[in-house]
Amino acid sequence: MHNEVKEIATFIGEYATRLMGSGVHTSRVVRNTKRIGEALGITVKISTFQKTLILSLIDENYEEVYSQVVDIPAYPISFELNSELSSLSWQAIDDHLTLDELWIRYNEIIAKPKMHPLFVLVMASFANASFCALFEGDWWARGIVFSATMIGLFAKQRMQAHHLNHYVIFIVSAFLASIVASTAFTFDTTAEIALATSVLYLIPGVPLINGVIDIVEGHVLNGFARLTHALLLVICISIGLSLTLALIKNNLL
Amino acid sequence: MILLDVLMDGAFAAVAGVGFGIISDPPLRAFKHIAILAALGHALRFSLMHYAGVDIATGSFAASLLIGLGSLPLGKHSYCPMTVLYIPALLPMIPGMFAYKIVFSLIMFFHSMGDPVQYIQALLTNGIVAFTVIFNLAVGATIPIFLFSKKAYSLTRRNKQTISK
Repeated sequence: MHNEVKEIATFIGEYATRLMGSGVHTSRVVRNTKRIGEALGITVKISTFQKTLILSLIDENYEEVYSQVVDIPAYPISFELNSELSSLSWQAIDDHLTLDELWIRYNEIIAKPKMHPLFVLVMASFANASFCALFEGDWWARGIVFSATMIGLFAKQRMQAHHLNHYVIFIVSAFLASIVASTAFTFDTTAEIALATSVLYLIPGVPLINGVIDIVEGHVLNGFARLTHALLLVICISIGLSLTLALIKNNLL
Repeated sequence: MILLDVLMDGAFAAVAGVGFGIISDPPLRAFKHIAILAALGHALRFSLMHYAGVDIATGSFAASLLIGLGSLPLGKHSYCPMTVLYIPALLPMIPGMFAYKIVFSLIMFFHSMGDPVQYIQALLTNGIVAFTVIFNLAVGATIPIFLFSKKAYSLTRRNKQTISK
């Protein structure tokens, strides 16, 4: 019996940390994990932090309790995994999946190819240009924001591929995008809007919103941890932007 | 002309929502739903603010409530959790200009320590607006999860009728 519980614990630990690391809000992680445990005939108690999870697995007859602490690695945010892994937890119940079948489906889901970086680059640039339009920037400004986003985000993707420190990545990308956008001051256009919008593709919207969701759902500590993390990234964006502003501030006054 | 303005606003918001959403790797089948929700939400806020004289905090709350409510049937349709649809749809409403003005007034504050009053004022005003709007956005879209929690928790369940226990 002991080995069986232990093997289930390995899967559940992997599953829960993958969800936490991919930017799923806490209450969903807890719900999904408990549901998988229920499907395998095990009661799961889970305690979540920003960097680690504590799991206790109790077998049906309360004869054995298995506890473990699992590290949460930093995965990229993925809504695809959020949907598919949530779906997997329902399949576990509805289709009575065994542990081996769960592992197979789980590995299939996480092996799915990600969106192509070039596609992401182009779409995010269009998005930021539209954002500029929403702030009432004119067509020149939108064009400048488009190219600024492209250069900034390309630099970000390359730096992420080389696993640089993410604070450095955010500062450099914000600086690059805003310095490109500052060329708007040489044209007769809504230059300040272009400059302000150029760095907004970096805003960590997912942890910001997840943080508030966690807080209102009662996972207050996790929520504040997420918000603190998001806030640090926002500060990095401001540092990059202020470097540009310091260089060009005579144009602004 | 009003209709055209609202439609344009919705269209730009749809592009912004999908484009920013893509950075977070959503499932392909969710794209059109994200676009619809982003357009509806932002167009509602635009109309409320421009034609009904509603302030940005209340307008954001109403828009995010609409997005949250809409993500329930659309999530059912595409087997996606509500957050997968509504977080990208909320992104075009993040108060970017206010955030920029916070940074700008902070820098100007340090450049004009002799007479910093106007920049402190700008800092506070923009800070309060940015914080309140983000908080309202997240809370407004989450309220439907509380109201319809049973439904909201089982959106990704594909075949509940199959095998009876």
